Amino acid sequence: MTDISCQTGVEALMDYLEGVVPEEMRKTLESHVAGCQKCAAFVASYLATPRILRQATAAAMPPELQRSLLEFLRTQRGEGPPQKD
Amino acid sequence: MTVPEAATDEALASRAALGDNQAFDEIAIRYQARVYRLACRLVGQDDAPDVVQEGFLSVYRNLTSFRHESRFATWLYRIVTNAALMHLRARTRRPVESLEAFLPEFDATGGHCQTPAELQVAARADELIDRRQLAEKAAAALGRLPDLYRSAFVLRDLEELTTAEVADVLGVEAATVRQRVHRARLMLRGYLNALTKVKS
Repeated sequence: MTDISCQTGVEALMDYLEGVVPEEMRKTLESHVAGCQKCAAFVASYLATPRILRQATAAAMPPELQRSLLEFLRTQRGEGPPQKD
Repeated sequence: MTVPEAATDEALASRAALGDNQAFDEIAIRYQARVYRLACRLVGQDDAPDVVQEGFLSVYRNLTSFRHESRFATWLYRIVTNAALMHLRARTRRPVESLEAFLPEFDATGGHCQTPAELQVAARADELIDRRQLAEKAAAALGRLPDLYRSAFVLRDLEELTTAEVADVLGVEAATVRQRVHRARLMLRGYLNALTKVKS
């Protein structure tokens, strides 16, 4: 089995993770990462990046904005304020 | 008319398309938090309220064109994403510094230039940086991505749609989505790495 460079491995990483690389390339990649500490470290940080960004950008909608959205939509539909039960 | 709590999105959309405004309110209540979060990620927190309003209004006006060929959620994401992208095109944009400088570097043989410890430090960004500061930096970093990469990355990695769904939302091939998400991940990984090294 021929080895690949780290750069080639990085270029194919997304396709590998999505399961769309050919079988031979998959084996070559796995073999390379298993024997390359730098690529193993790179893959760990590549995988962590979406998780970190996901948590860091999870903005909560302010309650006043929730209220104003429904009022806005009702106004756009030509409705008056909601009737109280 | 009472809307059952367990009504599916698609059932609510059908009722709303026939003029049931309570069903549309239920859709808005069900999705407003996700749409707001999506808008923040695509256009930033300051402009997000406008995009949320524009997005839901567009969803309302286009309900009769929902053909049930995809999940309602995917259809709604497409409309809101389009509203966000139109918003970005319309606003006067300040030039932003590219994240290209944070792409990984390789030597002449295609090997990584950094050590394993340097390469992995980005994976610990959330441990090494204050949470509020990380939130500010992360939002700013998203804003520095090219629109094409940001929309694919946000939908695929942050909103966790499947690649096929993102392709449907953006109207591109799955391979194009993978390429854009990959490029965004590489830039953001390098950005977190640089950020973390400065702080550690």
